[in-house]
Amino acid sequence: MTMTSSAPAATEEPFYLPVHDEVELFTAAYEQRIPVLLKGPTGCGKTRFVEHMAWRIFGRRDDAPDQPLVTVTCHDDITSADLVGRYLLSGEGTTWLDGPLTQAARTGAICYLDEVVEARKDTTVILHSLTDHRRTLPIERLGETIEAHDDFLLVVSYNPGYQASAKDLKPSTRQRFMAIEFTYPERDLETRIITHESGVDEATARNLAFLGEQLRRLDEAGVIEGPSTRLLVHVGGLITRGISPRRACDVGLVQALSDDPDVQEAVTQVVEAVFAA
Amino acid sequence: MTSLRETAELEVAAAEDRTRHSLALYYRALCGEVCSLVPYDDGSSPWEHADTETTVWLPREAPLDDHAEFTADDWYQVAMTHRAMHRTLGTFELDLDKDEPLFARMRPHDTGDPEVSSLQRLAALFGDSVLGVHIFATCEDLRIDAVTDRLLPGLVRPAKAVHHGALHERPQPATLFPRAAAIEALVRYSLGGSLVWAATEMHEPIARILSVAQQLRDPRATVESSVEAALRICDVLAGLATHGAFRSTHELRFADLDTTPDDSSFDVSTLAERLAGAEGFGGWYHPVAYRDWPGPRYVGAPASDASLEAFLPQIAQASTTLSRGKDDDEETPSQQPHGRDGAAVMSGSDPSAAPDVRPLLPFIGDEPWADLETPMTSRAPNEFVYREWDCYAGTYRPAFTRVRVLAAPIKRADHSHYRALARYGHLVGRLVRELERVRPDGRTITRRAPHGDDLDLDACIDAAIDLRAGVEPSDRIFTDLRQRHRDVAVAFALDLSGSTAVVLPPDPESPGTVRNILDLQRDAVSLVAQALDRVGDDYGIYGFSGSGRDDVRLSVVKDVEERTTPAVWHRLGGLTPDHTTRIAPAIRHLTERLRDVDAATKIMFVISDGRPFDIDYGQQYGEQAMLGYSVGDTAKALSEAREAGVNPYLVTVDPDGADYLSTACDPGSYHVIADTLDLPEALATLYTSVRGTR
Repeated sequence: MTMTSSAPAATEEPFYLPVHDEVELFTAAYEQRIPVLLKGPTGCGKTRFVEHMAWRIFGRRDDAPDQPLVTVTCHDDITSADLVGRYLLSGEGTTWLDGPLTQAARTGAICYLDEVVEARKDTTVILHSLTDHRRTLPIERLGETIEAHDDFLLVVSYNPGYQASAKDLKPSTRQRFMAIEFTYPERDLETRIITHESGVDEATARNLAFLGEQLRRLDEAGVIEGPSTRLLVHVGGLITRGISPRRACDVGLVQALSDDPDVQEAVTQVVEAVFAA
Repeated sequence: MTSLRETAELEVAAAEDRTRHSLALYYRALCGEVCSLVPYDDGSSPWEHADTETTVWLPREAPLDDHAEFTADDWYQVAMTHRAMHRTLGTFELDLDKDEPLFARMRPHDTGDPEVSSLQRLAALFGDSVLGVHIFATCEDLRIDAVTDRLLPGLVRPAKAVHHGALHERPQPATLFPRAAAIEALVRYSLGGSLVWAATEMHEPIARILSVAQQLRDPRATVESSVEAALRICDVLAGLATHGAFRSTHELRFADLDTTPDDSSFDVSTLAERLAGAEGFGGWYHPVAYRDWPGPRYVGAPASDASLEAFLPQIAQASTTLSRGKDDDEETPSQQPHGRDGAAVMSGSDPSAAPDVRPLLPFIGDEPWADLETPMTSRAPNEFVYREWDCYAGTYRPAFTRVRVLAAPIKRADHSHYRALARYGHLVGRLVRELERVRPDGRTITRRAPHGDDLDLDACIDAAIDLRAGVEPSDRIFTDLRQRHRDVAVAFALDLSGSTAVVLPPDPESPGTVRNILDLQRDAVSLVAQALDRVGDDYGIYGFSGSGRDDVRLSVVKDVEERTTPAVWHRLGGLTPDHTTRIAPAIRHLTERLRDVDAATKIMFVISDGRPFDIDYGQQYGEQAMLGYSVGDTAKALSEAREAGVNPYLVTVDPDGADYLSTACDPGSYHVIADTLDLPEALATLYTSVRGTR
């Protein structure tokens, strides 16, 4: 049971505004086929960044795989079979089905394991031979070892905010990646992202970005998980559909951030300070 | 039975508690700082309610009036926003040497010893006068409110209404002496007022004041701009009389004044001399209720219950002494300012400062036990009432102790989790390995599962038969191999009694660092917590102290099932030694807390530095019986915990602990550490052994 999506080659460049030098770093890592670890809070743009980079790498190439980006959303029930593949039963017997990792390694796609630390440590150990000089994937059930395609790259991500302490990668896994740290974009950049993604006017987008900035201080206090850029984009989307800013923030932000009435009250006050009735 | 009136009072108290909580969160969202919100009833002495770095004072009842169109919620929101914006916009981050964009610099280039904070040097620019500091504060209020209007458009309407309401509370300038009238014109202008009643002679000074003040509404204005403005305004004020009043006044509209800025009319070179001690008598400054009263923090003092008037001479003396000491290049005893009660006001977190050992509460009176049978009630959602075991009477005293659960204050500087790890990091790896070893190892195989690693042969055969027979086969044809999860919840309770402030012997590895028993407890918990995070055991960290049966305090550093964030380590650093050691109620509360946790193994570690003691803990049986009473109650609480499925463990660093604990406690439920310095390592070892046997 996996949550996998294999994206066909994008026809348009996925929108992404670099926060720092992450594009250059990723490009350099890809050229050296160094596996990449993306760290950052939820909704700060890690997945979009990988989509964007997959487009930059494969978008204009004729020999790009049909599905240049294979994304797996990890969880603690994921097994090595979910990643590598398994036999399935059919009327005539059993047939082998490649898992997403095997598929990406064979075709030369980017395999993106989202929230990788959610997967069990014994599961992630299978990544080891793919992430060092061997670039191979042993498939025990087939009795074979496949060599990763030259274009293959493994990218993993996790959120240090809520996963770092309770869950962590084994040092033997972690040290195979170069790490790019993501933070929420600063106000001007986040304003542009919200404007582009939601279609809301710039003044409202700026207020939303400012609001996000304020509420993330409650994240530092451990009161809530701070609102992500994605959440602010959703609120912006509601506003463009004619919902009043305060109401959009209520349903899209206040209720999403906490069920605690006191926290909701505090968040509502911040919303009401930022957006006039 | 609780009466209707009591119920209503409890509801009001609970609602007030919730409001305070949400306002404190609102404040934190706006400025990122923690504050404790304290209500007051009597506003007649505003200096008593001056905010400190961590405390915000607000009236219990919002000052509403018939004219203003705002609610109490509006008023509180505006008041909290104003205070938060002072923090966000840098009022207390003043840098006297920094340039600002609006005024030609009139501050002297030598503003004093740069090693003394700018706020501490600020008053000296105004001859250490309260007047100067108040004018600076008013300039800041003006700037802050202007920025708030731009930054928080949703607050413009309620803020305008609250400002309008504040204007109604202002004194009539016609009755004030000229300097006070000019100050009042400034305050009114800062509130958005458009006119004042004033004598013709006052037109010119008021115009000069407003010509300066209006510039603070410029978006580029900084806190340094407020200093420049205050200097100019004080220059005008210094020339005005501090007695008498003009007989003839008339309405003066600010818009009718010529407020073109003209710096050539100001001369602040001798301002300090002209202002020194020149406040005049009587009320020259009237507070604005929603704004914070300028207290000692406006001159760089972190907290005090002294007024600015009482504080300034001491600040001036301390600065002078510090300067002189520096000049003389010799050790000078620090001149700490003193609070209202004469107690030294400690500034900052000087690691070499003596620990803050507070005295125990005074003797209760001639008949201290008269109210012993009065049962407690919880008055707020964070209060819990527990029984107490009277081993001499052989019975429980029902509803006898009241535990108040509080969030531990955050203090960023004092304890660093990471410093503790650096010190004891070598133990973490070992502890993790040992805990991993006691991990419930092995895997569970589930056959006929819908998902899994491998096909289940039996299920596949059945499915193949079904297929051949034309029957829809089951999709449960896999074997699922899963690792068993750890299922442990542990609560650590740290003793915060006054005795944990006792300073430890100097550490040869860290010369000059003063550490106390509480610091060592913090290190021990940091170390174990780090290991627990790595292996995935759930844990909570609490501190307990008290001052009587109705005031047992349990400070929550990290609750069980709460995720670990940097704030946890700041809260751990925020624990301070405080009063007495009534252990049993803390054990009972944590037992109840762990009872709510869904974990197969529940463990509680109570770390103490001495015998259980409180001001009303068995004294009714005489001094000799106190220890027996308190130990008996503690042992009973430990036994109750075991009955509730919690494995309690009492760790004491009192070398004599065995003498009294052995008489009442199960030998397996306590551990005595002979040398306090061994606590971190001993706790790590103990945890492994306790965890391994469960």
